[in-house]
Amino acid sequence: MLSINQDIFEIIQAKFSSSEVVRCIHLNVSLFTELSNEEYRILALVTKKSNSALFLFFCKKPNPIHLSDLFIETVIPIDENFECFSDTILGEDKYLLFIVKYRNFILEFRIKTGLESSNFASEIIKCKERSLYENCDHRWLFKYSDVKSPLDCTENKSQSPDIPFVRQNMAQNQNAINRESMLKYQLKLKEPEFTQYQEFTIFTGTWNVNGQLPSISLKPWLSCDTEPPDLYAVGFQEIDLSKEAFLFNDTPREAEWEKMVLEGVHPNAKYRTVALTRLVGIQLIVLINIKHYQHIKNVAVDTVGTGLLGKMGNKGGVAVRLDLHNTSLCFVNSHLAAHVEEFERRNQDYKDINARINFRRHPTAIKDHDQIYWLGDLNYRITELTTSQVKTLLLRNEMATLLKADQLNQQKERGNVLLDYNELDITFPPTYKYDLNSDTFDTSEKARPPAWTDRILYRGKGIYQQKYRSHMELRISDHKPVSALFKSEISVINQAKYRKVHEELLKRMDKLENEFLPQVTVDQTEIKFDLVRFREPQFRDIIIANTGQVPAEFEFIKKLDEQSYCKEWLRITPYCGTVNPGEKCDIRLEVNLETDLVELDDILVLHLNGGKDMFIIVTGKGQRSSFTTSMRALCRMSKPIMTLDDEQYRKIIALDGEVLYSVPRELWLLVDHLYTHGLTVKDLFESNSTQDSFIRLRDWLDFGSTEPISVSVETVAETLLIFLSYTKEPVIPSNLQNVAIAASSNYHNCKNIINEKLPDIHRNVFLYICMFLQELLRHSSENGYDAKTLASLFGEILLRDPIRNSKPQASRGKSNFIYNFLVNDLSTSIIPIK
Amino acid sequence: MSGGPYNYSYIFKYIIIGDMGVGKSCLLHQFTEKKFMADCPHTIGVEFGTRIIDVCGQKIKLQIWDTAGQERFRAVTRSYYRGAAGALMVYDITRRSTYNHLSSWLTDTRNLTNPSTVIFLIGNKCDLEAQRDVTYEEASKFAEENGLMFVEASAKTGDNVEEAFLETAKKIYQSIQDGRLDLNAAESGVQHKPSTPGRNNLSSDNQGSKDNCSC
Repeated sequence: MLSINQDIFEIIQAKFSSSEVVRCIHLNVSLFTELSNEEYRILALVTKKSNSALFLFFCKKPNPIHLSDLFIETVIPIDENFECFSDTILGEDKYLLFIVKYRNFILEFRIKTGLESSNFASEIIKCKERSLYENCDHRWLFKYSDVKSPLDCTENKSQSPDIPFVRQNMAQNQNAINRESMLKYQLKLKEPEFTQYQEFTIFTGTWNVNGQLPSISLKPWLSCDTEPPDLYAVGFQEIDLSKEAFLFNDTPREAEWEKMVLEGVHPNAKYRTVALTRLVGIQLIVLINIKHYQHIKNVAVDTVGTGLLGKMGNKGGVAVRLDLHNTSLCFVNSHLAAHVEEFERRNQDYKDINARINFRRHPTAIKDHDQIYWLGDLNYRITELTTSQVKTLLLRNEMATLLKADQLNQQKERGNVLLDYNELDITFPPTYKYDLNSDTFDTSEKARPPAWTDRILYRGKGIYQQKYRSHMELRISDHKPVSALFKSEISVINQAKYRKVHEELLKRMDKLENEFLPQVTVDQTEIKFDLVRFREPQFRDIIIANTGQVPAEFEFIKKLDEQSYCKEWLRITPYCGTVNPGEKCDIRLEVNLETDLVELDDILVLHLNGGKDMFIIVTGKGQRSSFTTSMRALCRMSKPIMTLDDEQYRKIIALDGEVLYSVPRELWLLVDHLYTHGLTVKDLFESNSTQDSFIRLRDWLDFGSTEPISVSVETVAETLLIFLSYTKEPVIPSNLQNVAIAASSNYHNCKNIINEKLPDIHRNVFLYICMFLQELLRHSSENGYDAKTLASLFGEILLRDPIRNSKPQASRGKSNFIYNFLVNDLSTSIIPIK
Repeated sequence: MSGGPYNYSYIFKYIIIGDMGVGKSCLLHQFTEKKFMADCPHTIGVEFGTRIIDVCGQKIKLQIWDTAGQERFRAVTRSYYRGAAGALMVYDITRRSTYNHLSSWLTDTRNLTNPSTVIFLIGNKCDLEAQRDVTYEEASKFAEENGLMFVEASAKTGDNVEEAFLETAKKIYQSIQDGRLDLNAAESGVQHKPSTPGRNNLSSDNQGSKDNCSC
């Protein structure tokens, strides 16, 4: 149990940078609210300098074996806001409730009572106490939260974290991993384009040394070939049969045998140890010719015991994996169960080794390697033949008969062991069992039948076994050493070609990414409106078509320093939305001109979320209208505004010219019509006339006509309201409105404002309207209006707010002001209209 | 091997600015697609392109905003300067007017970006030597006086295009290394990509310790 803990501890530490130290972990944590047992969590207490935090990991497996099995789910800083306590769970004594609080954020865990939990809790409490005396700086945690950039962090910092960071960007990161694996996959597919095979000589040897001291040179075994190999994998079994070695897995022999190997290797090359691994007496050393050393990467070792209780190290396997250039190699040295009849046990040992070796530092299984070399004392015997029969057959050199009786060959044929592994035909005599220091088979009482216990097999592409032999002259053990020499094809990367392929793939992926940016086209980017007339809306539709491969979220966005995404005379519907690939969306642009603007001009920014921006230019010409022209100019017009030529118009607008009328002609025409036809009409101002009739009347006024007014009197009344609502300046100018409202309780003061402060034409218009309203009130029995109603209706208009659409203010004051002029006699007290 | 072949550690934001028709979009296209886009339509808006590059062994993702050059859009495109780590300022060596406007583009850039923004001057269309209207020496002097990096490039042949984008990134990366560019400052135009799960943090730490790269 302890060793599993240690492994997981290391994996968790690997999740952090070296300055972030995992102090302790707690396995098998479940959220109290979670009923399912399918989810596994781990708590880890991590410190960086004087700051600590509690990390909750979500694991894919009960016992994670790789970094990618763990995700950080929640990070809880430990500072003065942090609290933790435990509680009992009703009806359970083996588990307790562990509660972690950070301000309003609470997590409840169910954990096993015991040493692990009490140690863990006390570590947390120590950190919490320390946090009270230190300045807490949680910036290091930001990278574990779902904040994407440090820019956002600065904001967080100023507020200090309100709740612990809950990680939400898992999916996003998943995406990055997928991309990563896609690139790896693509690179693998393209491997032939940037790799070439190079032949490497690999020497593998195995020797069960029967606990003997390393007292003789290994040269006859390791240096028996003329050319030095590129790589050695040398396995021993039973290097130490002592109890100490068995119990403590520690032996001085390890270094001694390594030394003998290094001394025994081929003299024509220099070698360096790549890896050495040992389980009790099973030892494996991998050496590389130093000229290749730099091309070795990702070296990892692992050991698996299959002996006593199925896990002790007296039997089992050790393995070394490495990448040589671009080929992954795995060497396994195994010592399988002994005794003639135990072949099934041996098969099982083999399976266990395969299942349990996973090279934690570089998580892979044996089978995942391009080339596997399996050597060792596999302990398979010769069956169905007596010792003397074997010896006789050997003398007659009837190898075929003997090999048929070999258990390994039999089991392998049945698919029970070392499936898909190859072995060159054995031509050497059995390597077991000899009398020590002799070449004589066992002469003891037991007289065991000789057997090929020591074997070397291989699996993978491009491996060509050159030699397979035993070395009789090494006599110290009851086994003879065996060696196999291979010519193996190693895939070597041509760096220049690799860079090219890699770069091209990256480029393709960049391109892909660019293609996966949202893409839309807009059918027109310049919208020209025809002549835009006062309160006569026009619209144009544009079509946004998604031509990309992902849904496009669009939105019209504000430009720098602007209030809205478009000018006030424009409306965009909808101004945001989503268009799916291949689909279209109609956007309506509607202009409605309510000012004297002549040049309509706007640039709309159509923004695609995560993509480009498009500009859409909207232009148009506003048509002049009496409704938006200043009253002072209107009083200078001798004829309808549209009948003026440009020069005349320009002059008048510049107030160059004589004042011809005391009130605008258009106003007089409207009021006069109402005076004649409207005084007795009920609810005169309350009908909603059609847009069409308003436009007819507007044009009748602006263009002039010899025809009489052809619209209803209600339309005329509404048009009067519109006229007064859009005059370039309110009738009571904005700067006087507050004064007027303040004076509204006193008629005398009100009168003074009108008489002394108002520009002439405004005063004329004001009094003209009030006199008309008084006339209207004389017919109140027929039209139903009273002074208060009219005062409030016209107060809103004559003292209209300078900014349209803003909230009407102090309307009571406005209507009170007007009211004064509806109930008092104007003819005597007011300067007469000029 | 650390970090894998696709991960990136930083995101740099670039903008490309300059008069209409100087070849901004073609430079971007040449850089991201390695192709010359003949008959490239005027950019009406702001195009967006991305590419991952390698600077001193660090993978950096460039986010490039290619702005419309038309004068009428000038007020709108100003919104895009903010937060750029690099600004590629482009003129056309065959049209002096585009060169003459540089000082106004430069003023905008200086006003709207932060002091650590790297400004790179590109004299585009250097393949059209016969129609040259601005000498290399003159532009080079302008660049020097204003502390800009400078090359003449051709979006058509691809000459110096890669260099301009990469040199800018190197300069930005250097600023980060020197601490001149504060990643935490708002609008630095640089984002640090958090590492993805499944990636060995230890190995990336090793990377960090050998920062004294040769660029």
